[in-house]
Amino acid sequence: MIKKILIVDDSPISRKMLKSCIPKDGGFEYFEAGDGLEGLETFKEVRPDVTFLDLTMPVMDGVQALDEMKKFDTNSIIIVATADVQVKSLERVMQLGAFHVLKKPPTKDGVQDILRKAADHKGQVNGPC
Amino acid sequence: MVPAEYVITDEEKEILQEIMNIAFGKAAADLAEVINIFVVLSVPYVKVIKAAELPDYIRHEIRDFSHISIVEQNFWGEFKGSALLIFPAGAGKELISLLDDDAEASVESGSIDLLEKETLMEIGNILIGACVGKLTELLGDVVTYSPPRVIVENNPREIIPANLFDRDYSAIVMKTVFRFDERDINGFLFLTTNPESIKWLKESLYGFLAQYE
Amino acid sequence: MNEFGQILETINIGLIILDKELNIRYWNRWMESHSGISAGKIVGAPVFDFFPALNTPKFQRSCKSVLTFGNFSYFSQKLHHFLFPFKTASSFGSRFQNMQQSCSLGPLRNGDNVITALYITVQDVTELAEYEHKLLEMNMKDGLTGIYNRRFLEMRLRDEFERHTRYSRQFSVIMLDIDFFKKVNDSFGHQCGDFILKSVSAKIASIIRKTDFIARYGGEEFCCLLPETALGPATGLAERFRTAIAGLKNVYQDLEIDVTISLGVSEMSPEISSPEALLQQADKALYMAKNSGRNRVAVL
Repeated sequence: MIKKILIVDDSPISRKMLKSCIPKDGGFEYFEAGDGLEGLETFKEVRPDVTFLDLTMPVMDGVQALDEMKKFDTNSIIIVATADVQVKSLERVMQLGAFHVLKKPPTKDGVQDILRKAADHKGQVNGPC
Repeated sequence: MVPAEYVITDEEKEILQEIMNIAFGKAAADLAEVINIFVVLSVPYVKVIKAAELPDYIRHEIRDFSHISIVEQNFWGEFKGSALLIFPAGAGKELISLLDDDAEASVESGSIDLLEKETLMEIGNILIGACVGKLTELLGDVVTYSPPRVIVENNPREIIPANLFDRDYSAIVMKTVFRFDERDINGFLFLTTNPESIKWLKESLYGFLAQYE
Repeated sequence: MNEFGQILETINIGLIILDKELNIRYWNRWMESHSGISAGKIVGAPVFDFFPALNTPKFQRSCKSVLTFGNFSYFSQKLHHFLFPFKTASSFGSRFQNMQQSCSLGPLRNGDNVITALYITVQDVTELAEYEHKLLEMNMKDGLTGIYNRRFLEMRLRDEFERHTRYSRQFSVIMLDIDFFKKVNDSFGHQCGDFILKSVSAKIASIIRKTDFIARYGGEEFCCLLPETALGPATGLAERFRTAIAGLKNVYQDLEIDVTISLGVSEMSPEISSPEALLQQADKALYMAKNSGRNRVAVL
């Protein structure tokens, strides 16, 4: 069951956009962070079920944050959100253990699809839709 | 005093920043696909200033460059204006070796200067096309472009014509670093538009965000 | 045919449409008339079937850029000369073998705003290119002798220097001047001096190879730029110049005037920091030749 969602992105607009794609009736608890370091700290404290991570951020960028989060909890579900869809960029994040890549700008269908996959992965069948 | 409908607010600037983040990410991917090289574009630093301040702003930003190369391209759709891509001198030559089409051809061609100019034009065309194109696409517009003009290696002080920017309207400036396959090339992208376009831009930015309410 | 169709068929610009596989979808009358290939024959075929030389990395890259991202792409005459090998339209002699073209590519979208094809425009800019060349020539050539002038040489030298730095292409220079030229002017007058200058430069110009450049550097001084040439062959060439001029019979108003030239040869090497430094070195060699008796070649 997915309850806690962490959104890490330095753009408040981007966080807002992502949130709006997640169904309101899913009963989710939201957490937000504005840079990689804050995101990592929140991640360790809150232990979200799903994390959305922007790649380009100040202080600690997404790639580093991903690496640290995965080290902390290898089973964590981390979805990388990015507009840069070059194969080389994606390979790197997949290697580091990202669950999925979400192409920016986010769409309702795209996000719901990923959440469904995440729920399945967690062993639950009760998806948000 | 400039009417409010022709000035970009802080909130609109934030939306614009996010859109430019997306546009630049896409631009990097576009460029990489076309030139077959891994490209990294740093997150663009987006700023909105008064058009009249643009010449001084540009001069200040590029003060460390003793000579610059410029790619200029006009675009028009609902969003009309001009894109100025500024590189430090030498960038053109770096870019030539990136494309490295045909080593023989490069040596044969009339002049290295000419090749440098065309390379700047080609890469500049793709970059501007990707950034402006994606920006307008996200905001629901389709633009066409004039052929790019390239001015190579001039003294910055001579290049920026003051009379272009003698209005109190908004100009959008973006600063990014282009990284091609381990090489850093600093570049600046400036977009100047007319008042009607600013008006359209403001409306579309809200329209864009409205999809996410 | 409606008015739009008529414009496309009658304007003085070549228009082609290629689909995503780069097959020809439209070939207007201008293209037909200049290529000699009818639309009926070419529409539907891959463009490279008829124009294999078009298949270059840059062209492929441009098509990709246009079809995938909706960019516009340009092929200027200055660098590419032409995309399609057509004869020049004018029947009078032209410096160009083929029509010079300025081309552009752009995207075409369907009703859903999806890019489905690209267009190519082809403009004949031969006349413009010729005019530009003429202007350049006037600026680049020496009025009296008709060979290149100093400005041109320095420009070419800078290019060669760049080429050496980037691609390690070897090149050499020969500095030469006419021995006792002042005496010729003083004894026989300036018009005779001019005649000698023309005679010597013409002779040398007839000996140099297609890829070499001979320029008038000063009053009676000439400079020869030899790309892709090392010191040995350059020295050999300098010797050929020397013997040719020494054996040249110059007859001016029933007077036979014999002249000789002194030459200094130098090749580009990594220690030479600038184009000017190379010329200085060759100049030193020329000076050595003069000091050791004239009518000889010195190497530095």
